[in-house]
Amino acid sequence: MLCDDIEVESEKNIVNKVYTACRVGVAHMKEGRDSAVFRVDNKPVDEATAISEAAAILKNAKNPLIFGLGTSTNETQKLAIELAKKTNATLDDTSSFCLGRVVEALLQNRFKTCTLDDVRNKADVTIFWGADPSDSHPRHLSKHSYFPRGTEKQRGWEEERTAIAIDVRKSHTAKICGNYFFQIPPGGDAEFIDALIAALSGKLPKTSYNFPPKRILELANILKGAKFGVVFVGLGLIYSLENLEPLLRLMDTLNEKANFHLIPMVGHYNMRGFNENLFEETGYVNSVKFEDGSVKHGPEYSIVESLKAKTVDAALIIGSDPLSSLPRSVAKNLLEIPVISLDPCETLTSRNAKVYINTAISGVESGGSATRMDGIKVDFKPVVETNRLSDEAVLKKIMEAL
Amino acid sequence: MDFGSFLKAPEIKVRVITYRDIFQDKAMIENRFGEEYRDRSAVIKLDPADLKQLSIKKGDTVVLKNSFGTIVVKAEESGYEPSHRGIAYMPNSPWSNMLVSDETGGTGVPKFKDISVTVTNAKGEKVTEIGL
Repeated sequence: MLCDDIEVESEKNIVNKVYTACRVGVAHMKEGRDSAVFRVDNKPVDEATAISEAAAILKNAKNPLIFGLGTSTNETQKLAIELAKKTNATLDDTSSFCLGRVVEALLQNRFKTCTLDDVRNKADVTIFWGADPSDSHPRHLSKHSYFPRGTEKQRGWEEERTAIAIDVRKSHTAKICGNYFFQIPPGGDAEFIDALIAALSGKLPKTSYNFPPKRILELANILKGAKFGVVFVGLGLIYSLENLEPLLRLMDTLNEKANFHLIPMVGHYNMRGFNENLFEETGYVNSVKFEDGSVKHGPEYSIVESLKAKTVDAALIIGSDPLSSLPRSVAKNLLEIPVISLDPCETLTSRNAKVYINTAISGVESGGSATRMDGIKVDFKPVVETNRLSDEAVLKKIMEAL
Repeated sequence: MDFGSFLKAPEIKVRVITYRDIFQDKAMIENRFGEEYRDRSAVIKLDPADLKQLSIKKGDTVVLKNSFGTIVVKAEESGYEPSHRGIAYMPNSPWSNMLVSDETGGTGVPKFKDISVTVTNAKGEKVTEIGL
């Protein structure tokens, strides 16, 4: 979540103590201990050999895939876009199969949004829909969205904030929301949206799963009274909707009755940065194919469809592990093409890559800038030194070798 | 003679919903090939009535199978109320991803959080390793 208040104690370039961070943050800050590794065909090589092999793979490919970059800085992402142009590559990131379409709609100004600082200072009603920040973004609730005293919310969550969870299971966040947890059946989100819109418009809310209308009316009343409302949209909601139309309609209705904003619960620390950087360059947030100066876009250029259709003939994977995070039925096609893996840690993808370079961990061993889930840019510096190259430096070297 | 061995092991169909777990995420960062990550990932959380129907105890291993893959994971009680027979929960991981359909309708978005599988008693078989 790009927390900007982490303090560490380090000795001999090893982080020993981490303050303020969450469980995941502490593990991340302590992650970097290895020395530089360059491998080709799983055998150790020197830096120059790894770089020239990587460059050769990209050069020989007709349609290489460049994928990942959710845990890379803005500077690295911009370089990757340049590299994709230079190599006529297909370029995509994890947002094509998670929250990309929400970020795209935000960048097209189809949703009203706000910053997490606004949420902390002003929000009186927050909805976590198909999202469980207690597990996915552990400091979200304490740093921004529920527990803090904000400039206009001095009495805090006890008196001035209402947190609502809408989910298919009683997540840890839902437990915090207490009586404001609305449990719906899997796939029941679109109907719940319709029912909520009906309730907001003074009609009787109906669902095929017989959700008690009284409770939906109670929810609508809370939402109508919001002076500064926020809907945090998670994957649970987005995977359940065929398209964003019901969500757009809900936000419009909420804004006729009250004042509501939307923030996507972006998982990787700089996925939004990738979306914004690519959008600025091409008008699209993901799933693009560069071809001799022009750019094509569509789901057929997403990692999933490209691998399924076997349209890509090499892959440069940066800070991502598609062999673990994609369906095995799709990811197995990566085993048939040469893969270059740049990653701070060993992954299934790095173990099966033709070329592997273990890069520095951004935010710990290398610095730069990144874009938070709410669009705020955050700059950060390395806290320890390493002999590992940053992914930015590796991409520069590959570009030069090309 | 153990007549039970001639009976077909009970099999149930469930819809698996995946979710994030901070302890599992932390274990992944520390070592994605480690024991802790496997223990926290290769798990399915079932309704107590489903566990009973499978004639297994919590902690026993089960086989999860569909046309995309077959894996062995540990079965646990979900602890969720109300009853949710036929719906099970797994942390999102390479294990759950071994069962995700490649059908996307051309959208590029697999159904990571909605996986249909059959569950049977694994009769002590060990949890699947994630290697290829």
